[in-house]
Amino acid sequence: MRFYSVIALAFVVGSASAQTLPRTPEGRPNLQGIWQVANRASYNLEDHVARNAMPAGRSIVEGGTIPYQPWAASERQVNFENRSTADPLNNCFLPGTPRVMYMDWPFHIFQTDEHVAITFEWQQVHRLIYTNGQPPLYGGIESWMGNSRGRWEGDMLVVEITDHNDQTWFDAAGNFHSSALRVTERYHMRDGDTIDYEATIEDPNVFTRPWTIRMAFYRQAGMDRILEYQCQAEKEEANGAFERDVRNWYPAAVPVDNEPFDADAGVELPLPEASEDIPRLRDGTPDISGYFMADAGGANYGLEEHERDFLLPASRGQVIDPPEGRLPYQTWARSELNDRLRPHRGYDDPTAHCFVGGVPRSHYVPAPFYILQPPGYVVVLHERMSWRQISLDGRPPLPDQLRLWMGDSIGRWEGDTLVVESKNFNGKAWLNEAGDVVSHMQTVVETFTPVSPTQIVYRATVADPIPYTRPWTIEMPFNRAEDELLEVACLEDNGDLQILKDVRDEYRSSLNPEE
Amino acid sequence: MNRILISVLATSLSVTILAGTAIAHHSFSAEFDIDRPVELTGRVIEMKWSNPHAWIYIEVEDETGNVVNWALETRGANGLIRSGWRKEDLPTGTILKIEGWQARNGSPTANISTVTFDDGRRLFAGPNPRARQR
Repeated sequence: MRFYSVIALAFVVGSASAQTLPRTPEGRPNLQGIWQVANRASYNLEDHVARNAMPAGRSIVEGGTIPYQPWAASERQVNFENRSTADPLNNCFLPGTPRVMYMDWPFHIFQTDEHVAITFEWQQVHRLIYTNGQPPLYGGIESWMGNSRGRWEGDMLVVEITDHNDQTWFDAAGNFHSSALRVTERYHMRDGDTIDYEATIEDPNVFTRPWTIRMAFYRQAGMDRILEYQCQAEKEEANGAFERDVRNWYPAAVPVDNEPFDADAGVELPLPEASEDIPRLRDGTPDISGYFMADAGGANYGLEEHERDFLLPASRGQVIDPPEGRLPYQTWARSELNDRLRPHRGYDDPTAHCFVGGVPRSHYVPAPFYILQPPGYVVVLHERMSWRQISLDGRPPLPDQLRLWMGDSIGRWEGDTLVVESKNFNGKAWLNEAGDVVSHMQTVVETFTPVSPTQIVYRATVADPIPYTRPWTIEMPFNRAEDELLEVACLEDNGDLQILKDVRDEYRSSLNPEE
Repeated sequence: MNRILISVLATSLSVTILAGTAIAHHSFSAEFDIDRPVELTGRVIEMKWSNPHAWIYIEVEDETGNVVNWALETRGANGLIRSGWRKEDLPTGTILKIEGWQARNGSPTANISTVTFDDGRRLFAGPNPRARQR
């Protein structure tokens, strides 16, 4: 009798939670929000005792242990013993999937009727999961994060991940796989604040049978946005490999001998005319989602028009204000730009270290990006592994002391143009390889105007009183294409940086020959 | 085996720059030396299909018989993949002729301006002509 009562109770509770789940307009469970695990899986998936910098924890593996083949169990032991240097995360490499899901950092799930996107605070990793049945365009191309394809089975999101490389681990204890790895994830909302997650791991090269891990993701109700942890940048700032620029980084002040900044000096620039035949979302908002590549005309090599100079490609010039196309530099900042063009400064470009590009540069580096429009946001996933989450809900800005590589972006629709205002930058980015200068005081106002079903005209107005005398504006088209993002795991082979460092060090030695 | 030669040219090369050279995440002008143009012929040891740049490693025998392994930087793997190139297009042992510029630190590293197979076909310049048949 008691048994049947328990069953009945479980049924009632189950039905109640199924009815009260947040749901999308299509009736699917709405996973959108900020989530995080509360377990020790990222240290070791199996039962483990505490060690230096590793808290004890219980196994989340069904049956307790991972069914390794004998040779692989030995390999795992070697990994464990060498973990302080061998863990790929110690080199800030992309964590792979599922590891990224249970690292001790929050992540944000965004959901549309065609995709689920997940953005992670750690190293600004993202996943784009197609749930619209679109077959992969680049099947068989291995990557660190794998290729995720999802489907809804009733209220369950099921994601198949294929095409992993063999470079990632499952945790910090050396549990590993081969490139034959296949992961099946299941996301099931237990209630509005909890997702039950499981991942089944198949890899016949390493394990004797498939095995499954289970855990819960908890909604981080007190968090309205995730922030950034740029693993490699933090590491290099801490060990001195990436040096502070006191003139531009937060909290640098406006130089006392600067010319006054004329905030009202810009010319009137009427917005481009939006096309009437653009696709629209259900609520009538322009649909600007999809794969885009900037027709940047060399913006990543200098925003002012210039000819090719050896291996620095030409730029057609993107500056539309001031009308003559020259950036309104303070005298010292123009000198700084000219200095950055010298070979020994190539090392100082943050993107040469594989750090993120900042705003607006991330849109015109030579790499595509994917725009998504989940409710309340415009989300941009950059192929060079960073993301922008542009909130549309009118939330208050971040406090001044919170500073980010990509800034804090708040957007709104004005007619058919998306207007985005960004600030809270850290001032560490360069605007391109030439070294166009920007500081933490930059504010960026961007407009995205869909002028045809396949083109957005993009403008960015930068106001920054440290290197400039007045605001300025650049313009370029973004072209939509039927394509998919691949993955740029920049740190996987950045041999260039050592050469750039050698060039810098040789220059410094020449200045101080006695050293 | 044909003798594989390296010649470091004293004068500037007149070469067509691959469009892909622009797929950069750092300054090529800062890394490579306009005064060190190189012309290399060598045998492919490995190609690393990495991003934001891919690398072709070749072994080159100089006039005294010493074999030097060169690292040659090319477009990122993603750009090559989108143009239809795949790993099997550059098997180990392929003989390549390369023009480019050597790294400023003097290491056997070069930026590629042109790559040709020994039959004169260009590698990685534009879309892979065989991609459609795949």
